[in-house]
Amino acid sequence: MAKVMEGVRILEVAQFTFVPAAGAVLADWGADVIKIEHPVRGDTQRGFLNMGGVQLDPQRHTLFEHPNRGKRSVGVDFTKPEGQELLHELAKHCDVFLTNYLPQLRQKYRFDVEHIRAANPNIIYARGSAWGEKGPERENGGFDGTAFWSRSGIADCMSPPELDGPISQGIQAFGDSIGGMFIAGGISAALYHRERTGEAKVLDVSLLSTATWAAGANMAQALETGVITRNSMPKSGSGSRNPFMGNFRTSDGRFINLCIVSPTGLIEDTFNHIGRPDAAADPRFKDVLSLIENTQAASEILVEAFAAKPFAYWREHLRTMRGQWAPILNLIELSEEEQVAANDHIIEVEAADGSDRPLRLSRSPVEWDLEPITTTRSPQANEHTEIVLMEMGMEWDRIEQLKAAGAIA
Amino acid sequence: MKPGTRLKSAVCDTEVMVIRAGEGTIECGGHPMSEDKQDAGTPAEAHAGGTLIGKRYVDDAHSFELLCVKPGKGSLSVDGVALSTKDAKPLPASD
Repeated sequence: MAKVMEGVRILEVAQFTFVPAAGAVLADWGADVIKIEHPVRGDTQRGFLNMGGVQLDPQRHTLFEHPNRGKRSVGVDFTKPEGQELLHELAKHCDVFLTNYLPQLRQKYRFDVEHIRAANPNIIYARGSAWGEKGPERENGGFDGTAFWSRSGIADCMSPPELDGPISQGIQAFGDSIGGMFIAGGISAALYHRERTGEAKVLDVSLLSTATWAAGANMAQALETGVITRNSMPKSGSGSRNPFMGNFRTSDGRFINLCIVSPTGLIEDTFNHIGRPDAAADPRFKDVLSLIENTQAASEILVEAFAAKPFAYWREHLRTMRGQWAPILNLIELSEEEQVAANDHIIEVEAADGSDRPLRLSRSPVEWDLEPITTTRSPQANEHTEIVLMEMGMEWDRIEQLKAAGAIA
Repeated sequence: MKPGTRLKSAVCDTEVMVIRAGEGTIECGGHPMSEDKQDAGTPAEAHAGGTLIGKRYVDDAHSFELLCVKPGKGSLSVDGVALSTKDAKPLPASD
């Protein structure tokens, strides 16, 4: 496949998902990503014992695998001066420095922009943070649960006011995984800019900026009109002014989503497909404006029709419908879809547990030349330390010295 | 044994990189490992636990450390004494 980032080397000093996910996207695209981890503890992400109500197997650690596939791990203790020097040496061999360490720690451990640029003036310096690199809260940390979901207004938009409280993010590392792609996009543009002008940029993406962009359509509307669009309580039937917008319960308790935003020319076809040609001929629904005026009546017809047949019937029967619709699926069902297979959404990497059962992961969202992404498993902590240092031309005596100093292990 | 040397198993696919080596014979599957590929059959029953890619294997005295660069069915030992994995000790976390 096209490895568009082949020849680009990334030095990643980052933990958890948000910023490592950027490294994972670039690794999917062929970059050589060197992940710096604590030589004994590794990335704190490796220590997640429970996630989303599931106990994780440390040898098949999916939460680590998702944002770290395709990388190499070098263990460096940068709390030691020798470890800091080693980071600077590694930076000389890299195109991009990628970090989510807080500003005060980057200063304390001497890998802030000026330290890394002193070693390599042409390196692109990419930062991910919770709240942004400027402002009074620049030194505060956060996760996507706080920065992307809670404070951002997203939890408020997602939660119907009738509920006792806001709904939670629901998907592990949801904001992190979205934001990681944003950082990878920024790095790609920075590499292009450097190629064109010779100038290396510093770039920032925060979980909060990820959220304000993702919520941007609602934000713009809210700032213009003063009205924030929020979810309404789930039900079978349309909850909007357009009866062809909503979820409809099937006879076996599943749901079909209709999203026919612009019903012009689709009214008759929609009613025919749900087995109600009588409604198609009803003057109340003769055009879009009358349909919207009579939305309650139309919605009731749809609710009744969908409730009469099972989910499997609707999935098959609606294939020829011209209006936009989708079945409400879960993630495992999705992974089994022909369309998902045809577009290579799920990739396999070998697991580190010695079994022949691969780990199945979501590929990063961009596909090149219609060819599937191929990558490798995530590294063991500290797996490639000596290998990478020797590749850099380091003699074994120096490696031993670094070990004796505790900079590597 | 020089650090950085790559050794191959004589009885399985295992390959290791020597990170540290004291006095003694490095074995896989109960048979000595060597830089050239040898064929000594299959792993001995007592040394057939397998190796895992990317893991570091150490002895109790920590005079040996081997990095597995290719996994196989044999397990690693020095002079017949099994080596164990040196695992990361991550900080506990939970959602």
